[in-house]
Amino acid sequence: MAATLTANAPARPRKLLASRRTRVGILYALPVVVYLLVLFVYPILSTLFLSLKSTDGSLTLHWYVEALTGINLSVLLTTVRISAETALFSLVFGFVLANAISRLKPLWAGVAMLIVVVPHFISALVRTYGWIILLGDKGLVNEAMAKLWVPGAPFQLLYNEIGVVIGTTSVMLPYTVLLLYGVMRGVDRRLLAAAASMGAGRVTIFRRVYLPLVAPGLASAGLLSFILSLGYYITPALMGGPDQTMIASLINQQVMKQNQWNGAAAEGVILLLLTFAGLLLVKLITSLGASRKKRSAS
Amino acid sequence: MMELRRTLAGRIALTAVATVILLFLALPIVVILVTSFSDNAFAAFPPDSWTLGWYKALFADGSKWPAALSLSALVACLSTVFSLVIGVTAATALTRSELPLRSAVYALVLGPLLIPQIVTALGLFLLFEPASMLGSPLAIALGHTVLASPIAVLILVATLRGIDERLEDAAASMGAGRLTIARRITFPLAAPGMIAAAIFSFITSFDEFYISQFLSSVDTVTLPVQIYNSLTFDIDPSVTAISAILIAFAILALALVALVRWLGSGRQDSLLSVENTAGIAAPGGEAV
Repeated sequence: MAATLTANAPARPRKLLASRRTRVGILYALPVVVYLLVLFVYPILSTLFLSLKSTDGSLTLHWYVEALTGINLSVLLTTVRISAETALFSLVFGFVLANAISRLKPLWAGVAMLIVVVPHFISALVRTYGWIILLGDKGLVNEAMAKLWVPGAPFQLLYNEIGVVIGTTSVMLPYTVLLLYGVMRGVDRRLLAAAASMGAGRVTIFRRVYLPLVAPGLASAGLLSFILSLGYYITPALMGGPDQTMIASLINQQVMKQNQWNGAAAEGVILLLLTFAGLLLVKLITSLGASRKKRSAS
Repeated sequence: MMELRRTLAGRIALTAVATVILLFLALPIVVILVTSFSDNAFAAFPPDSWTLGWYKALFADGSKWPAALSLSALVACLSTVFSLVIGVTAATALTRSELPLRSAVYALVLGPLLIPQIVTALGLFLLFEPASMLGSPLAIALGHTVLASPIAVLILVATLRGIDERLEDAAASMGAGRLTIARRITFPLAAPGMIAAAIFSFITSFDEFYISQFLSSVDTVTLPVQIYNSLTFDIDPSVTAISAILIAFAILALALVALVRWLGSGRQDSLLSVENTAGIAAPGGEAV
């Protein structure tokens, strides 16, 4: 709306000035536009073309058929499964943590947010290595469980899906916490007070007022961590076994080890389409949420 | 908050669960820091004897770490310069001009942040491989800038939006030229945001893995790729030391950003208060 306002705002006598401002804008926007067109848009378009090209240069869907059958299909399904598990755990942990932080006094909330934000800026490789040390047979986690007489300890926590989901969740968690904390801070506390004054109990307030208010935020936080996990492979490659190979890792192998660029390009386009589908859902949910908020406000 | 008064047990339970989740985030980092000083990097935790050996091993003869570290530093510096140039111009266009297709430019800027990095990396590989630029620090830096410049643009847009345009108008009304305004008003006020943008661009490039892996060659390996290789192929305990250094480095960078923000926060207020006193003084001036 702000854009349409400024576009209509200048009256006729200022037209000369406005056109100068337009020229300055175009000139200053050129570096970013040219840069990203050459080094971002063009490379992605050439990936798309490569995925549709057969070895003799004609158009083909062969690489997509290959990407969606056999071992490649199972990699795709594994990717979706691990991403969904990661998104679920990040969402649940993120909800609990963001909720707890939003109730803390400012000083403690600041300390807690620091513990959320600082790891986010430390290389995921380093944090994954930390988990490898922690989850080994003689690692802190298994040692602690042995001391607590947990039956069955030590557990196999590395090179399987448990390890992968633990590691990947810890990488995605800061995103969901930050997003949900913002959403929860935005909840109008007077609505909760109003519900209480009308006799609603705590559970009812949570279920009928609080949850619907934060639901769009929850959905988009979950989808975001799902999307981010789809293209991720650092932790699954280091903490998982062959059964935890993800699509991004497959793309890397196809390019580096098999020189199979067309196949890699097709996998890349599939990953891109999954991402777009997720982003579209986020957009749909947030616009639905916004219209609902407007209705309840009026 | 009466309506949400919790039972004591409920509050203790919530705090306990939240603490466990915070531990979940912090523990891998603490473990690396402690293990990097441990005599036996693969034995039980906590360690029983201490050493600086892994740090010394980083710089021993034949070590791969110094080359990887200096390549990453070079690439990150180049990428920071590119990102700042792109960031400052783009943010100026987006906040201080009438830009046609503004939302399209925004969408383009957000693109690299939303699309899986592996897809961007693959595309850049397809661009640079035929040009025989694999392994070139310049190619890696150009690739990293695709990811770092959008972050710089967003930070600088927020910075410029936060600067009261009336200050620039006031300077113009007193006869200052555009260059003078940029140099004496906008630049000093935007400096903290520019430093923050530079630091985040540097971190983004320094930590970047996917593009580096696709664009590196056998001889030119960035630090994250070297860490990945050493965790995958050869067992090199000095990787704990380099990881600990990276942790210290990230904390230092974030502290620097916080410091710069804190130092910069007072500046515009002091300028505005000058404007306010001028406003208060004006009626008195009229009376004379």
